[in-house]
Amino acid sequence: MKLEAASASRLLERTGTDALTRADRALLLRHMLLMRLAEERGLTLYKQGKVPGSFYDGRGQEATCVGAAFTLGPRDRMCILHRDLGAHFVRGVTPDRYLANYMGREGGVTGGKDGNMHFGDRELGCVGMVSMLPDMAQVAAGIALSFKMRSEPRVAMTFFGEGSTANGQWHEAMNFAGIHRLPVVFVLENNQFAYSTPTELEFAVDPVQRAKTYGFPGVSVDGNDVEAVFEVARVAADRAREGEGPTLIECHTMRMHGHGAHDDMSYVPEELLEEWSRRDPIELYVRRLTEEHGFEQPEIEEIRSSVASYVDECAEKAVASPMPDPGIARDGVFAESWEPLGDGEAPWSRWSATEDQGGTPHNGHHASNGHGDAVVEHGRAA
Amino acid sequence: MAEMTYLQAISDGLREEMRRDEAVFCLGEDIGAFGGAFKVTDGFMEEFGADRVLDTPLAENMIIGACVGAAIEGMKPVAEMQFADFIACGFDQLVNVAGKLHYRQGVSVPMVVRLPSGGGFSGGPFHSQNPEAWFLQSPGLKVVAPATAEDAKGLLVSAIRDPNPVCYLEHKGLYRHVKGEVPEGDHAVPLGEARIAREGGELSVIAYGSSVPLALQAAEELDEDIEILDLRTLNPLDADAILASVEKTGKVLIAHEATRSCGVGAEVASLVSERAFESLDAPVRRLTAPDVPIPFSPPLEQSVLPQLDDMKEACRELLAY
Amino acid sequence: MSSSPTDTQLIEIVMPQMGVSVAEGTIVEWSKRPGDWVERDETVALVTTDKIDVEIPSPAAGRLAETLVEPGDTVDVGTPLAQLDAGARPGEAHPEEHQEEAPSAAPQEPKGRPDEETDRSGFHSPIVRRMADEHGIDLSGVEGTGIGGRIRKRDLVALIESGAETAAEPAETERPLHIESPYRPDEPAPAAAEAPSAAPAEAGNGAAPGGDILPGEQRESMSPMRRRIAEHMLESRRTSAHCTTIVEVDLHRVVATRRELKEAMKRRGVPLTYLAFVASAVVAELDRHPILNASIDGDEIVYHDDVNLGIAVALDSGLIVPVIRHAQRLSLEGLASEIGRLAQRARSGELEPNDVAGGTFTITNPGQFGAVLATPIINQPQVAILDLEAVVKRPVVIDDESEAIAVRPMTNLCMSWDHRALDGAEAARFLSGVKDRLEEWEL
Repeated sequence: MKLEAASASRLLERTGTDALTRADRALLLRHMLLMRLAEERGLTLYKQGKVPGSFYDGRGQEATCVGAAFTLGPRDRMCILHRDLGAHFVRGVTPDRYLANYMGREGGVTGGKDGNMHFGDRELGCVGMVSMLPDMAQVAAGIALSFKMRSEPRVAMTFFGEGSTANGQWHEAMNFAGIHRLPVVFVLENNQFAYSTPTELEFAVDPVQRAKTYGFPGVSVDGNDVEAVFEVARVAADRAREGEGPTLIECHTMRMHGHGAHDDMSYVPEELLEEWSRRDPIELYVRRLTEEHGFEQPEIEEIRSSVASYVDECAEKAVASPMPDPGIARDGVFAESWEPLGDGEAPWSRWSATEDQGGTPHNGHHASNGHGDAVVEHGRAA
Repeated sequence: MAEMTYLQAISDGLREEMRRDEAVFCLGEDIGAFGGAFKVTDGFMEEFGADRVLDTPLAENMIIGACVGAAIEGMKPVAEMQFADFIACGFDQLVNVAGKLHYRQGVSVPMVVRLPSGGGFSGGPFHSQNPEAWFLQSPGLKVVAPATAEDAKGLLVSAIRDPNPVCYLEHKGLYRHVKGEVPEGDHAVPLGEARIAREGGELSVIAYGSSVPLALQAAEELDEDIEILDLRTLNPLDADAILASVEKTGKVLIAHEATRSCGVGAEVASLVSERAFESLDAPVRRLTAPDVPIPFSPPLEQSVLPQLDDMKEACRELLAY
Repeated sequence: MSSSPTDTQLIEIVMPQMGVSVAEGTIVEWSKRPGDWVERDETVALVTTDKIDVEIPSPAAGRLAETLVEPGDTVDVGTPLAQLDAGARPGEAHPEEHQEEAPSAAPQEPKGRPDEETDRSGFHSPIVRRMADEHGIDLSGVEGTGIGGRIRKRDLVALIESGAETAAEPAETERPLHIESPYRPDEPAPAAAEAPSAAPAEAGNGAAPGGDILPGEQRESMSPMRRRIAEHMLESRRTSAHCTTIVEVDLHRVVATRRELKEAMKRRGVPLTYLAFVASAVVAELDRHPILNASIDGDEIVYHDDVNLGIAVALDSGLIVPVIRHAQRLSLEGLASEIGRLAQRARSGELEPNDVAGGTFTITNPGQFGAVLATPIINQPQVAILDLEAVVKRPVVIDDESEAIAVRPMTNLCMSWDHRALDGAEAARFLSGVKDRLEEWEL
């Protein structure tokens, strides 16, 4: 599917795609469930007093981050934000490390150095976010710049919310990417609210329409339709790899919980919440899988329960992880030497040497174990 | 060896590294076609191509942010802020992203930000600053400030090779006024090492950047037994060299053109009083600009920036104490 | 402006316990007056006990409300000396509030910003103090070339490099011959005496104590130290059965040894004196005559395991005897070093009560001032005290057979001892032993 650079079109209908195998579809569901259940567990731990600081989740936004991340190959890179836990899981971070990070434990991705979602496993090709938004958009543009300079068919993907498009750094990132036709995919998660601020107070013109002013296409998509997101992201990533420059993907979705666990969301109109609760991305996908792709209920249940017990295991492991040794607090300010980022997992069947049969447990589904040792052909898809 | 100005030495260092390592590239405003506001990158675009000598939009955060991203992925960007003062517009990316990534995530960010700093030419408040203290307060950033042509090249080369973000303060006043013999080819000066610019036994003047030639001239004209220590690197500070000099002389004057409060002088003074108390024969003094924006009109500017007479007077007072 | 009547909170400043066996102290002077603001730990008064001057620090910040004792008063430990209002605030200025420096033998830093005009000779920077400490320099004798006469580091460097005799070197070095200074000087200590023009002595010099009554007289009340010495000496004569035994000693081997060792020790910062040799011989010999390292307690003789050797040091204000503890453990160099160190501390007023306590035998050196015989008074509760008199070159018979005569540096060791504890034979044997050690000194 070609996108015209000159126009921005609203695509709310899903597009069919045969780029996904049955096994891929199961994985998509699996990853969304993993995010949902892991975050629910995190919230419980938070309420049990085990989480210092605040707790943020992306309930309702699972399709956006999973769908977009699923397109990436092992050598692609991501800057992941706080409501995109699913993207971390797609890349190979395990839920115990996520939960341990929230609890400030040694076993957390940053070992206690940073909290909540401010993490990114450098060995899985992820760069962790900072609080200032949308700083990571510029970093992603910088990463993309290096790909372009070395003529590598690789993509940098970054996420940000609609609120941060109000910030000058967003403009700088978009502008720079447009000038240099950088291989970057900007995923804009429009979840209606930036903390308590509704979109009409964040911008006068929908950002997706402003993409063209930076010289590249902006596309809207139903952020709760995982396959729609996947498809648009796939096209955008391929465009980037082929040297056609950036794309802005606006995913329409809804933040079903408060900005953080401390926020009761009383500023969100009831009807809005109700409307979107009927569009739960996981339930929507389960329905599609059973109705259109021949998945049986028992299979779905099996996926659900195996994810649930996996999350339980991970939670136990995380809780058992010790607090970090205070002695490390002064360590690691400076690097001794530069090391390349590792490659992330790339569960999409396009990236594997052999086809997965589906139904494999999450933590065994790729030989790579997150270290990118699977040799994959990145570049042209079959 | 070749005789070069400070400015030429910076170009030379940058050029050498770009030739030696393909990953090194420059970015900044007006550095490509125009050759840079101060002509440091004059001729670079012709030699290395527009890709490696990137003319950026007027967007400091983006410049720094691009450096971070590119550096993470193995490039070695050398950004130029047109004037050091403008780092304020890129501060967020520098301090919050570049400075903290390794600590939080173990990710190395090998980038250099060149900062043409300093006053003395009626540049006014926004073209004359010496903002190095801002970076000393931000963990994760290394800071260097050469005073000689040889060090201008050597420190830049080491900064480029360092796997961390390095702020490189090049003093504009030294560009054409400082000349020296500079080793050709591969020449690197290690970070974190000060240099004795002049040996002495009665007074230690600890200085960097533009204050070093000023101190040298003062010492010559006073014809006194004054030792001058050129810090060269501000973070990490060469504490051993500082303490050794104080041990020798017992009297310390710290000199920098940057404004007074919480500057390098304050840091060094504290180090000295903490660790060399029993070697002191006089109070530790600083010669700095006062805490004011640098004014534009020459008589005002000269009354604010430390002059040769100020340096001599400060030395005299301490020697007599 | 008077203090506002807010929260007056009076606390007492009491006479502290200084030194284990001290029961009382005498006020020398007040450093603060009623109405003065006092910082916590700031000196409020100077007190003396057993000839040691001690500064009394304030237990809290506040305003001195009232002093309860006068200079010259002697009170028991624990007696309230003054009252401090700890509830006062510094802003409530006493009209004559000022910072008064507590005078003491130790140099004080002047407060506030130095004025070019003021005398800065008493201000010693950290490096100056350190160098003085390391090299045993008495700063009161050093001329400063810094602002206001401040002693600068370079002044001490010059002093050390020139190898000049510094003030604190015990005056007994290299002066074995007659000197014209009096034994109990009222004038400044030997520090200033190195300049041949010693300040002319006042009433004490030459005038026999208790001698001629001259027409016209001047009265001066005794200083606390003087009074203490007077009491102690009288008490000692009343307690012990004083006898004095004297031996002549040929020091030529000691002189030669000293010549050999002196330079090396000097480089190590140790002044090697004849007193050190005597101390070494005495300490060794005491091991064979423990009765001389004992005390009398009622009907009992108390033998002490350690030799805690008291070394008498002449000060301008009197006499003080700091103690080298476990002297038996020290070598010649060790003794020389300790003698030098204690003497310097004594002269700069840095001794503490425990430095003068616990002595078991005392040696003194009036010979440095030229005397050749003396009958010292025992330092209670010891049983003996030994004087080293002046070293004088005399012709002596060095071989009984041939009756050959040589000129030798001779001295007398005069020991006063307590006949209650021992008899003349023992005293003589001890002294002979010391004599033999000195005369047969091996390098």
